[in-house]
Amino acid sequence: MAAPSGAPTQQSRLNVVVLDPAHGGTDPGARGTGGIRESEIVLSFAMEVRRELEQQGFQVLQTRQGNENPSFDDRSAIANAQRGAVFVTLHISSTGLPGTVRVYVNSDLPPVADSNGMIPWDRAQAPFLGLSRTFGDFVQGFLAQRFKGSPETSQTASVRQLRTTSAPAIAVEISSVTVEDRADLDRMAPGVADAISRGAAAFKPSYIVPTTPGALP
Amino acid sequence: MTPRWKFLLAGGLVFILLAALIFVPILRRRMKRASKLQQQSEEQARRELTQPIAINSGDPRVKTKLFWASDTIDATLAPVTVDLPLSNDPVLRSKQVLNTLLAGPVDAELRTLPPDALLLAFYLLPDGTAIADFSEALATSIPSGIASEQLAVNSITRTLEANVPQVQRLKILIHGQEVEALAGHLDLTGTFAVNTKTGQPPVNPAAATPALAPAALTPEKAPGKLAQPQGKP
Repeated sequence: MAAPSGAPTQQSRLNVVVLDPAHGGTDPGARGTGGIRESEIVLSFAMEVRRELEQQGFQVLQTRQGNENPSFDDRSAIANAQRGAVFVTLHISSTGLPGTVRVYVNSDLPPVADSNGMIPWDRAQAPFLGLSRTFGDFVQGFLAQRFKGSPETSQTASVRQLRTTSAPAIAVEISSVTVEDRADLDRMAPGVADAISRGAAAFKPSYIVPTTPGALP
Repeated sequence: MTPRWKFLLAGGLVFILLAALIFVPILRRRMKRASKLQQQSEEQARRELTQPIAINSGDPRVKTKLFWASDTIDATLAPVTVDLPLSNDPVLRSKQVLNTLLAGPVDAELRTLPPDALLLAFYLLPDGTAIADFSEALATSIPSGIASEQLAVNSITRTLEANVPQVQRLKILIHGQEVEALAGHLDLTGTFAVNTKTGQPPVNPAAATPALAPAALTPEKAPGKLAQPQGKP
């Protein structure tokens, strides 16, 4: 069915944050020599981020609560079913300067909408790239204040998880599983949670999505 | 049952048991040998496929720019210039520079690609799309993470960009197959832009060239309905 291209008839604001602890199940993600597994750490980070976001008044949805491994599409589908949501996928790297955090937004995508006015699922992120960058820059700015050596602005990368997400979407990658003691990473969780929730709060007034009847979600 | 039948049945069972004792070890030996032969032929095929492209000393020596990790700035690349005899044929030239990139820099810490990864095949289509087929080690041995996977792909695309102007975009396959993500993060379903100045825009979703989206605070266009992925309700 073609999407009407008329003037926006209503506006929605950010009220939902979808948190995606990456990997899980048989996919442990990055692994450190000390037995640190990315899939476990990101889950505990997600709990901390969730608490901070809920204190800010956001409704939080998680793509996984335990040690499951939903597909990329299943994770995106949770965000794509919401109105006025942002998507944050959490990762721990296996390289990079320990104690730093990078925010990524998806690389440029070709124009959206096919001849029927449908947005292909595999390019769902395309209309949101500008918003994703704004959101990413807010979060990266707060992270740079907390974690010295982190970039000042968000980076671009072809992140598979972000491409199919039809919402402002960022990937947050914390360095790294190479730390000798897991406690070094755990100590970063409150700072990361604070930066993400402050970033979401700062981004909220900017997030006005023109919608038309029959349009997303 | 008469004693005669009992005797015949017992004899038959003893015969089957003896036959099994003789033939099962022979069968096992033969199966082992067949599996060994199959392994050998697979290994042979793999070796034939992965014959490194010999540097032909007759080729003109060219200042070749290879991109490995920077030793000063985290998560960035730095060019290293080396003199290499390179073919004028773009496919051979691409294989030569990529094999040199895979061989790694003098300082192994600055590698961007796993030491056991191999370039299995390289093709160049008339529209400038190159297809590089790497062994599974590229996906399984690379340090997992967005930064490390993006750095690996950037080192490939920037090395091709610097040395093979005919390559406009690159598709990466793993052991002949398209995979969703390199090591769980970087999108390999599309093509990566290589020579953006001479080429046309990439035709597929993922593109390596960072593009600064305008700081629009609403989507560029009111989004239409979202088509579901195959197999989704």
